[in-house]
Amino acid sequence: MNALKLTTATAVAALAVGSAQAQDVFVGHLADLTGATASIGVAYADGIADAFAWYNANGGIDGTEIAFETIDYAYQAPRAVSIYQDWVSDDVVAIQGWGTADTEALIQFVAEDEIPYFSASYSGALTDPTGDAERSPEAAPYNFFYGPSYSDACRALAQWSWEDWEASGGEGTPIWVHMGADHPYPESPRQACSEYATELGFEVADQIQYSMGPADFTAQCLTLNEVGADYAYLANIAGANIAMLNSCANLGVETQFVSNVWGYDENVMRAAGAAADGVVVAVRTQSIFTDDNEAIARVQEIAGGDDYQVLSYLAGVCSAAYMVEAMRGAYEADDEVTGPGIKAYIEAQSDWVPEGLDGLCYPSTWTAEDHRGLMTVSIYQGHVDGATEGQEVADLVADGVMSLEQVGEITLERRPEWLGY
Amino acid sequence: MEALRLDFLSQLLVTGLIIGTLYGVVAMSFVLIYKASKVVNFAQGEFLLVGSWVCWYFLIEFQLPFWIGFPMTLAFMLVFGVLLQVVVLRPMIGEPIISIIMVTIGLSIMFQALMKWMFGVSPQPYPPIFDVGSVNVLGVQIQTIYLLSIVVSVAIMGGFAWFFKYSRYGLAMRATAFDQQAAQSLGVSVKAVFAMAWAISALVSAVAGIVVGVVNGVSSDLSFYGIKVFPAVILGGLDSIIGGVLGGIIIGLIEAVAAYFDLFLGFGNLQQIVPFYVLVILLMIKPYGLFGTRDIERV
Amino acid sequence: MAGIQFRPCGDFRTSYRADTTIFDDRFSRNFVIGLVIVLALIPIPTVFDLGFDVIDRYWTNLLINIGFLSIAALGLNILVGFTGQISIGHAVFFGFGAFSTVFIHENTGLPVFFTIPLAGLLTAAVGLIFGVPAARLKGLYLAIATLAAQFILENFFARADWFSGGTHGARAPRVELFGFEFRDAQAYWWLVLGYVVVMYLLATNLMRSRDGRALIAVRDHYLSAEIMGVNLTKYRILSFGIASFYAGIGGALFAHYNRFVQVETFNIFFSIQFLAMVIIGGLGSVMGTIMGVTFIVLLPEVTEGLAGTLRGTELAESLNLEVGLNFMKEMAIGLAIILFLIFEPDGLAHRWRQIKAYWKLYPFSY
Repeated sequence: MNALKLTTATAVAALAVGSAQAQDVFVGHLADLTGATASIGVAYADGIADAFAWYNANGGIDGTEIAFETIDYAYQAPRAVSIYQDWVSDDVVAIQGWGTADTEALIQFVAEDEIPYFSASYSGALTDPTGDAERSPEAAPYNFFYGPSYSDACRALAQWSWEDWEASGGEGTPIWVHMGADHPYPESPRQACSEYATELGFEVADQIQYSMGPADFTAQCLTLNEVGADYAYLANIAGANIAMLNSCANLGVETQFVSNVWGYDENVMRAAGAAADGVVVAVRTQSIFTDDNEAIARVQEIAGGDDYQVLSYLAGVCSAAYMVEAMRGAYEADDEVTGPGIKAYIEAQSDWVPEGLDGLCYPSTWTAEDHRGLMTVSIYQGHVDGATEGQEVADLVADGVMSLEQVGEITLERRPEWLGY
Repeated sequence: MEALRLDFLSQLLVTGLIIGTLYGVVAMSFVLIYKASKVVNFAQGEFLLVGSWVCWYFLIEFQLPFWIGFPMTLAFMLVFGVLLQVVVLRPMIGEPIISIIMVTIGLSIMFQALMKWMFGVSPQPYPPIFDVGSVNVLGVQIQTIYLLSIVVSVAIMGGFAWFFKYSRYGLAMRATAFDQQAAQSLGVSVKAVFAMAWAISALVSAVAGIVVGVVNGVSSDLSFYGIKVFPAVILGGLDSIIGGVLGGIIIGLIEAVAAYFDLFLGFGNLQQIVPFYVLVILLMIKPYGLFGTRDIERV
Repeated sequence: MAGIQFRPCGDFRTSYRADTTIFDDRFSRNFVIGLVIVLALIPIPTVFDLGFDVIDRYWTNLLINIGFLSIAALGLNILVGFTGQISIGHAVFFGFGAFSTVFIHENTGLPVFFTIPLAGLLTAAVGLIFGVPAARLKGLYLAIATLAAQFILENFFARADWFSGGTHGARAPRVELFGFEFRDAQAYWWLVLGYVVVMYLLATNLMRSRDGRALIAVRDHYLSAEIMGVNLTKYRILSFGIASFYAGIGGALFAHYNRFVQVETFNIFFSIQFLAMVIIGGLGSVMGTIMGVTFIVLLPEVTEGLAGTLRGTELAESLNLEVGLNFMKEMAIGLAIILFLIFEPDGLAHRWRQIKAYWKLYPFSY
C-alpha cells in the first residue's frame, strides 16, 4: 500500500466500504486546476465534480454511493500516469480525464486494464475502438468523450463558414486559414479540417502559427491581412486566443474568427473585451446556461444555484452524466459495475441522452466500431458590448454586456473515412 | 513592387521594433541581476506576473487611476524585490551560483502557484488607460501603451546610465559585479548592492508586465516572457545592459523578417524558430554576445 | 580479520589504486550489491504469479520513473557536474532517444531490446552535433546553444512525421527478448534496473579513467588542463556526446514503458526539471544523482499525499482551504526546493557524506 497516500486511500476505502459492503464503485477524476490549462480546466472539472456529487445525493448507482476522487495533476503527464497507477491499485472502475498528452499516454494502459476513460481531449485519434480505420494510428477501445471530435468540430465550423459566405453573397473563392501552434492539440484537426474546407470550395492558405503561451501576435495578424483570409480557425486554447484577438482587433483585421471548443468561452470574452466580439465558436451542448428548459433547471440543481455557468461546465456535466448513466446500466445488466460492463452498455445504446438532461446533452451514439459519439455541433457567436474589466462573468451576462447567440447547428455525415482522423 | 510586398515588410519591421523593445526591457532587468550577482534568474517571468497582477489589483479593486496605480506598483515592486533578496537570497550569498539559480527555479514554481491562488486562473482585462487605444505609426496601428513603454524604458535606461556612471551606489554595484571580495574589502556592502539589484530588476520587469497586461490582459501565462527573453539576453551579452536592450530589439527584428519570408515559404513557424538558428550562428562568430565582456584570462 | 570490519578514520590510502576504488570499503560495496539484489527480487512474486505483490503498481511506476530518469540525469550530471558546462535542453535529447528507438524498430525490424542501446548511440551522435558550439562557447553562452537545441529539436519532433510521427506522436511497442515479453510493469523494472546498474557502473568507471579525469580537469581549470595536454575541444564535445547517450538510453526506456511518445512531453520545463535533479542531488556526484531524482519524483507525490490527508477534513473546511489546497500543493514543491537549497546548497550527496562521516566516528569522534 502506498504509504504516502495511505490516509487518502483509507479515506476513500472507508467511504466506499461505508456505503456499499458488497462492492466499491470508485471513479477517478483527473483535473488540471493549477497547471497550464487551468483557465479552462477548472470550470470543466467543477461540472464533473458537481454532477457526481449530485448523483450521489440522488441515489448513486442503485443506492450505492460512488466513491469519487478528484486529483489535480497540474497538466503534467508523468504525474497523470502515476496517479492512474495508484487508482488502478485501488480498483478504479472508470476515469474522467483531461488533456491530450495524458489521455494519449494512457490509451494502452486503460485498454489493458479495461477501464473506460472519458477524456476532455477530443482528438480524432481517440474515436477508433478497433484500430481498423484507415487513418487512425491505433485502437482506443476504452476511450470515450462527450462532444464532437476536434476534427469534426472544425469541419462543422468550416461548413458554417461556407454557408455564411454564401448567405452574405460573397464573390470569388473565400480563403480559409488554420491558426495554431506546433503542438498535438491544435495540430490534431488541421489536416482533416483543411481537406474538408478544400472540398467545400475554400482556398486553404498556409497555416499561420502562434504560440500556446500568449505573446504579441501583431506579426501573425499582419500576415492574416496580407493573405486576405476570410475565415481563420483558432486552434489554441484560451490564453493565446485572447492575445490573438487583441492584436488583430487593434490592427482592424476583418477576418471572421472561428474557434475550437476550448478556445473561446465567457472568460475569453471578458478578458478580450470588445476584441472578442463576433467570434464564432463550436459548442458541445444543445443549450447554454441562459436558456430556459428542464435540463438547465437540472444543471442549476447540480450547480447548487442559478449562478451562471460557462460552456465547459455544461460539457463537464454531460460527460459525468453519460458515465453515471452507463454505470447504472451496467449495474442493472450484471449486478455489478465493471469497466467492460460500462463499455458494453454504452456501445449497445444509440441516440441516448442521460435521464433529465434531454435538451442539454446532444443524443449521442457510441458503437463497438465507432466512438464518434456526436456528429452534431452547435455554432454560437459571442457578442461583447461594453466594458468588461473587474466584473464577474455572471454579472456581465446578466447585464447583457456579454451574450452568446446560436447562429447555426451543423450535423455532419458519419463518413467512414473520417473515423479515427 | 507588389509581389515583394514591401508595405507588409515595413509594417512587420515596425512591429518587430516595438515588440523587440519590450523584450529589451525584460532583458535589461534580467541582465541587472546577472551583472550584480552572476545569478541567472529563472523567476524573471514571475516578476512580470507579480507586477502585472498587483497593478491590476490597484486599478480594479481600489479604482485608482493608472497614473497613481502605476507608480504605486513600482513602489511595491521595490519593496518586493528587497524582501525577496533579504528573505530568500541573502542566506545564499557565498553558496555555489548553480544552487542560487536553482532557488530561482523554486521561486518561479512558488509564485506561479501563489498568483493563481490569489487572483484566480482566468485571465483578467485591464481597464482602458488611454483615450486613444492605438496610434498609427508608419502604417501600423501601435497600441499607445507600447509607445509609453518605450518612453518609460528609455527613461529607465538613461537613469541607469547615470546611476552606474556617476552615483555612489552605481559604482558600488559595478565594483561588486567586477569582484565581490575586493569590493567587500573596500567597504561596499554586498548585501545592500544585491538587494538593490533585485529591487530594480523587479521594478523594471513590472513595467514590462503591466504593458503586456494592458495589451493582452493579465494571466499566469504572462510569465512565459521570462523564457522568451533568454535569446535576447545572451545575444546582447549577459553583462551588458545596453546589450540586453539591443539584443531584444534585434530578436524582435529577426522575428519580423522571418515572418516576412514565411509568407512566401509557407512553413508557418519561421518566426518562432529562426531566432534560435540565428543565435547559434551569431554566437559561433561572437562567443561573448554582441556586447558581453570578453573574458580575458592571464595565466 | 575474520568477521570484523575496520573502517579507517582518516584518509590513509597509499596508492592510486586505492584512491580510485569505487566503494570506500567492503561494507559499502556489499551494501550496494545487496540493495540491487533486493530491488531485483521485488518483481518475482508478481511476474511468476505467486499470488501476492511485494509492491503495488503505484510504487512500481515510481521506481521505474526514478530508474530511467536517473540514467538521463546522470548524463546531465556528467555534463554539468563533471565537465562544468550548463545544458538547458536535456529533455529534448531524452525525447530524441524515445523517438529514435521507435524509429529504428519500425524501420529495421530489430527487436526492441537491441534498439534501446542503438537509440542511445543515435542520440549521442545528435548530441555531438549540438556540442560543436561548445568548442567556442563557455558557461552561460553555451547554455543558449543548448536552449537553441531545445527549441530546434522540439520543432523537429513536431514537424518530422517520418521520424516522430509529428505532433500525433509515436507508439512504442513492448520490449520482447527471446519470446519473453516484458508485459508486466514489474518485469519491466528488471530491464530498467539492469540499465541503471550498467550505466552507473559505466559512469563511475569513466570517472576513474584518463578521459574522466580530463573532463574534471576541464571543469576545474580549463587553461591548466589545456597546458597539460588535454584537448579542450575534444573533451567538451565528447561530454555532450556522453550526456546525450545517457539521455537517449533513459528516453528509450521511458518510451517502451509509457509505450507512447509525443513532442509535448519534452518541453523546456522538463529540461529545467532535469537541472533541478542534478543540482539537488549534488553536482559531480554519481550517487547523488539518484538521490536528486528520487527527491524530485517523490516531491509532488508527498505534497499530493499531504493535500489528500487534509482534503475533506474539518480543518480544511473550517479554513476554507478546499480550493487553495491544490495551489498550496504546487507552492510546497517550490518552497521545498528553496528551503532545501538554503539549508543544503551542496545537494543531497553532501548531506549523505556528512551523515556517513558522523557515523564513521560514532561514538567517539577522537
